[in-house]
Amino acid sequence: MTAAGLQKPEPRAEASRPRGLLDHSGPRLVRLHLASRRVPGALAALALCALVLRAALIWHWSLGNGNGAQQLPVLIEAGAASIIAVTAQSPFGDPERATGRWLPYLRLGTAVGLTAAAFAALAAGAAAEHLPGGTLDILRNTAGMTGIGLLLAAVIGGALAWTGPMAYMIVAQFGLMGDWTSPWVWPARPPHDAGAALCAGLVFVAGIVAATVRGARAFREV
Amino acid sequence: MTLTDAPARPRPRDAGRASPMSLWRLLWLELRRNAMPWMFPLLAALFVFDPFRTAMGYGPFWDLRASVLENKLLPDFVLFVAGVAAWMGSRDSRRHTRDLVDATARPRWTAQLTTWAATTLWVAAGFLICVAVLYGVTASQATWGGPPWWPVAVSLAELALISALGFAAGTFFPSRFTAPLAAVGAFLLCLEGFRNAVGRSSVYALLSPTTSVPDDDTGLFRHYLPDVSIAQLMFLIGLTLVVLAALGLRRAADAGPRLRRAAAVIAVAGLAAAGTAIGLTGTARTQAYGTVIPALHDAANDRPIPYTPVCGQAAGVPVCVHPAYRNFLPAMTAALAPVFRQIASLPGAPARVDQVAVNDLIASNGAAITGVPPVFRLPVPATPDETSFGQNASTFSSYLQSTLVTGFVLGAHGFVAYGPPVGTPAQQAVVLALLQKAGTAIQTGAGPESAHAKAEQVAAAARRFAAQPAATRHAWLAGHLAALRAGRITLAQLP
Repeated sequence: MTAAGLQKPEPRAEASRPRGLLDHSGPRLVRLHLASRRVPGALAALALCALVLRAALIWHWSLGNGNGAQQLPVLIEAGAASIIAVTAQSPFGDPERATGRWLPYLRLGTAVGLTAAAFAALAAGAAAEHLPGGTLDILRNTAGMTGIGLLLAAVIGGALAWTGPMAYMIVAQFGLMGDWTSPWVWPARPPHDAGAALCAGLVFVAGIVAATVRGARAFREV
Repeated sequence: MTLTDAPARPRPRDAGRASPMSLWRLLWLELRRNAMPWMFPLLAALFVFDPFRTAMGYGPFWDLRASVLENKLLPDFVLFVAGVAAWMGSRDSRRHTRDLVDATARPRWTAQLTTWAATTLWVAAGFLICVAVLYGVTASQATWGGPPWWPVAVSLAELALISALGFAAGTFFPSRFTAPLAAVGAFLLCLEGFRNAVGRSSVYALLSPTTSVPDDDTGLFRHYLPDVSIAQLMFLIGLTLVVLAALGLRRAADAGPRLRRAAAVIAVAGLAAAGTAIGLTGTARTQAYGTVIPALHDAANDRPIPYTPVCGQAAGVPVCVHPAYRNFLPAMTAALAPVFRQIASLPGAPARVDQVAVNDLIASNGAAITGVPPVFRLPVPATPDETSFGQNASTFSSYLQSTLVTGFVLGAHGFVAYGPPVGTPAQQAVVLALLQKAGTAIQTGAGPESAHAKAEQVAAAARRFAAQPAATRHAWLAGHLAALRAGRITLAQLP
């Protein structure tokens, strides 16, 4: 029997009406996209980072005063940025790219939303404790390192994109200990430094644009 | 019922042993499919950026340069090793192939150990390449001694442990987020270990391989004491065995009785090794030339290393250094000559300069100029030409000149270190004047207002004394040096 011999199937009965908000196609698409990127897991991991930050501040795990005291917050901010970077990985690859008309908007919303969530979580973790650099530092450092992670995800794929913020964090640790003044090593600059904020903002915007337009590269997983 | 729930069929009595070749093939497969080589470009960049650059900033001394392995290179590796090991450990769950591989003939624990071994082999290869580059360059520059291997062994043991911890994290909590979280956790552990090692909050901080920066001349005058390294090796290897055994005990249900027994024995052996190391470290005591653990200590390491000094002349005064410092001799004689010209033939002026270990000077209560005829015993920093710790050729020269002048003016109390000026105001003024005439750049007047005013008085007296003709200065010093050293001269009495 060939395909030509097949009978045309009967028209489907009218689909049932959506019963709740999440059953509408728009919210459902968003929910499925967030689930495919493991966003609930990412939020849990960000909450874990916030808890570690709080523990570090309460029990004074920092390395001395001054810039040494910023080493641990920068490490945790890099961890948060790494978590956002790995959410860029898609389990579907090309089929999703070929069919998802709303995909760029979903990617944009996920990246921006998770960055906001990371900032909120870390700021809440540092609330009522003395955080060197304050919340402005959290915002600048987390956003900048997230940009690095998203840019790397567009180049090598989301699976190993966490290495970008981590490598940058190591460079930033040198910058902190060596009092570097380059704005491109923004964690080593004071929170109100306009040049550092501009550099971090530029990298974040570049990362967001890359994540929106290209997404994470579908790479052969190892 | 799924495949994994099905009872295992008993092994036939006549079944032969599994060929070891299949295990090698599995290892070869894991080596080819490992994520660690992807990290090598990044690690190479970080190696050149920090550990290598820092080591090249030190003098060409084996032990000092080897210190970057544990203090710089290890933290860089730890982060990525933990992440990649977690990634490899969670591979089967991420790919949803766990049920498939569970059904294969080889016990799952063996396969997991093979994946861990492949990851650790890649890590070790990358680390050893960095060591080879560092030691290769040092070999072409060093004039004394040989490469120390204890730091390499301890670093490899820590990397194996981090790899095991990361792998276990990936196995127990398989997720795409495990890798970055494991990396953060490992680095946090490393930072905290470093903080404790530097702060010496407890003797058990010695178990952290990320130790503090050693003395400049470590391993030159005295043997490197391996006691702590041995305890660290026992501790790290013991913990690695415990973690790997925990992987096996977790999957005990699908392993045979032999494997279960093996996992239990390995766990007990690991716990015993780690516990013994902790107990031995508790008995450690810090001595002048390193930390000693009595049960592990070899008395032969306490003997000084014999050497024939290399000597030069600074304004007619012999300056003798350890052969490892041979290349520093021209800079040292050039720095000391102007000072010797200022103090020549004065009472207590050194007739010879001998380099000593920093710890020798501390052991003799800091007497810098001793003996008859007087010998200036000088500890030499190991960074004369580069920029480590803010040191450069100018600060190296200033250090030597300040050390000599202060030791000469202060006499028996003339132990000198970086920090605030020592001695009475008159002694400080004479020191400043002599240094000024020797061409040393001097900064005065820093500090709070009262200290600033006092420093200004000292600086003014120093300028007044330095403005005297050389013969007048020399004659005054010849007549008043004993009183000046005894602290009986005031600023107003200076000419």
